[in-house]
Amino acid sequence: MTRAAAVCALVLWTAGASAQTMTQRGFLEGAAFVYPQAASNDDVRLVSEFLAREEVFFKPAPWIQFAGGVDFGASSHDHVEDSWRLDFSDRTPKRPRLSIRRLTATVTRSRFTLDVGKQFIRWGKADIVTPTDRFAPRDFLNVVDTELLAVTGARAVGQLGQETFEVVWLPRFTPSRLPLVDQRWAPLPALAGGIPVVDAKTPLPEGSQTGLRWGHVGSAIEYSLSFFDGFNHLPNVDVRTTINAELAEPAEPVSLKTVSAGSALIVIRRIYPSIRAYGVDAAVPARWFTIKGEAAYFTSSSPGTDQYVLYVLQLERQTGEWVLVGGYAGEAVTARRAPLTFAPDRGMTRAIVARASYTIDPNRSVAFESAVRQNGNGVYAKAEYSQARGQHWRATAACVVIAGSEDDFLGQYRRNSHFMVALRYSF
Amino acid sequence: MNRRPMGRVGLVAPVGLALALLPLAVHGADNARQIVEEAQKRTDAKSHRYEGLLQVFDAKGNIGDKRWTFERIGAHGNSKAVLRFTAPAEVKGVALLVVNHPDRASDQWMWTPALERDRRIALQDRSTRFFGTDFSFEDLEERDVNQYDYRLEGEEPVDGAACWKIQSTPKESKSSQYTRSIVWIRKDTYSIVRIDNYIKDQAVRRLTYGDYENVQGIWTARQLEMADLRRGSRTRLTLDKLAYNVPLKDDDFTLQAIRRQ
Repeated sequence: MTRAAAVCALVLWTAGASAQTMTQRGFLEGAAFVYPQAASNDDVRLVSEFLAREEVFFKPAPWIQFAGGVDFGASSHDHVEDSWRLDFSDRTPKRPRLSIRRLTATVTRSRFTLDVGKQFIRWGKADIVTPTDRFAPRDFLNVVDTELLAVTGARAVGQLGQETFEVVWLPRFTPSRLPLVDQRWAPLPALAGGIPVVDAKTPLPEGSQTGLRWGHVGSAIEYSLSFFDGFNHLPNVDVRTTINAELAEPAEPVSLKTVSAGSALIVIRRIYPSIRAYGVDAAVPARWFTIKGEAAYFTSSSPGTDQYVLYVLQLERQTGEWVLVGGYAGEAVTARRAPLTFAPDRGMTRAIVARASYTIDPNRSVAFESAVRQNGNGVYAKAEYSQARGQHWRATAACVVIAGSEDDFLGQYRRNSHFMVALRYSF
Repeated sequence: MNRRPMGRVGLVAPVGLALALLPLAVHGADNARQIVEEAQKRTDAKSHRYEGLLQVFDAKGNIGDKRWTFERIGAHGNSKAVLRFTAPAEVKGVALLVVNHPDRASDQWMWTPALERDRRIALQDRSTRFFGTDFSFEDLEERDVNQYDYRLEGEEPVDGAACWKIQSTPKESKSSQYTRSIVWIRKDTYSIVRIDNYIKDQAVRRLTYGDYENVQGIWTARQLEMADLRRGSRTRLTLDKLAYNVPLKDDDFTLQAIRRQ
């Protein structure tokens, strides 16, 4: 994306030329994941990753601001592309080695704001599951440790008193980044044993996406109504067996190296269905807790796509040094049509989810989070300790335990319990 | 829950009280409410801005520094403020929007860039510490003189300066983590020099104002120190590059605005 690189360079150069209106933030982070158990399709026990990020914000005049950000990544377990090209679209199965994280121009006139470019758009109020957050694809290479991906388009917001009106238009679809089929976060069914699995090249939807949102901020309640018309960034999954390797059109050619001509293949294709989502979210501060609720009804004209309602109800409270969040995420399927999907948002439903964090002192904190399926077939629990040193360093250690049955969304990752340590230098 | 012990003066906000040596004891200086009104009046400004250095100390010494920029616009009780962290690097860009109201608790929202989301700080959560400092979210509010009842408790010198000692109690219609506060106001400058905040009969937080300086005609404390008397920790806030009546726009004090870095 030569053009994007040029714009980015221009923004950074101009920013440097006018330091008084420029801010930046960034970090270097190394992380290591240790998996005590091998998975059926992945016996690598130690995965290390590195991420360098720099973001610059430049405001040449009160009414306009530019934001640019660049990521550089590396991985010991093939999570990052080998190519050194500068990526703009974030649509590749693997993370780009060098990518533009964001590149936005923001124009503000009175109570009107227009953001154009690659940006982050968050909808909804809940923390556990966010059914209305439709413009927020994620990187799921590690399903329980995800990161938001930016989307490319325009977002206009008008504020009138306590009311906010928002219109989003994305000409280009950004899917979530899915687990790689030859790695542990894409657990394969037992019937796949021995048969090579190919992640087939999947054409991405070409149409645009739109969203409308009206929000009200009152002293006793905040709520929003939203409408989304576009594509689900989480796909339906089509699994077929073939004996012709040529037909597989793998997304990653390397996957076919071990396949001899005429041998059987399991070919996995992702299909990103068109969906419409009608959403509502609200937050009500009550005497003891803040009550947050969020729900969305998803319909689709694409064949083989479910129609369903996702909802979450959570309670939130800060007391002393504790921040406590707990709630229930549910799902009601009104039309079941999809044989297989990759849907972590739906996978976390029918579950009781809780999070608690405790600030020991300004530099140290601990956090616990868990999700327990109501039928007991899946359990996820995480404990994390984090400590900062000086103005720049932070070390984090975490332990993640996953248990359950093979046919449960959480339980299928039962061999992926792991330890994690990370060291970050922020600047 | 959200009320501050004193009529207006936001703890972190303008901390100055007006140039004194004017006819101070006028109009019944022994009337507690009038004293507080006068103290508030002397800090009137359309807007102000400063850069703050926060130093958190525990019993062993300094354990962390933070820096923020603070901007405020509007009249007492109806003001809006945006506080944005600039250091340490990992919290750079985190912002707090405070919208004060004359007749009720303020509205507060926190913007966290790492999550790309804002979150309302609920009333019941405002007694918690703000970002690991000894200030609570409630302490960041600016409250109007009309939200409290006052009683003059006498006179008591602080650091050799003659002061009025005034008890302020949140009015019935309000709620606050603090049951009452004792405020010391200098008789010569109407400057607040100390506030002891109580929960029931226990003093829980003590705010001390120091290093007063006349900035554009307003006596302003350049250093505030909040002590958590139960934890034994304290946080010192040093104000730098402070200026009053700076050109700020109301549109920069909205939820949309704090999302801009």
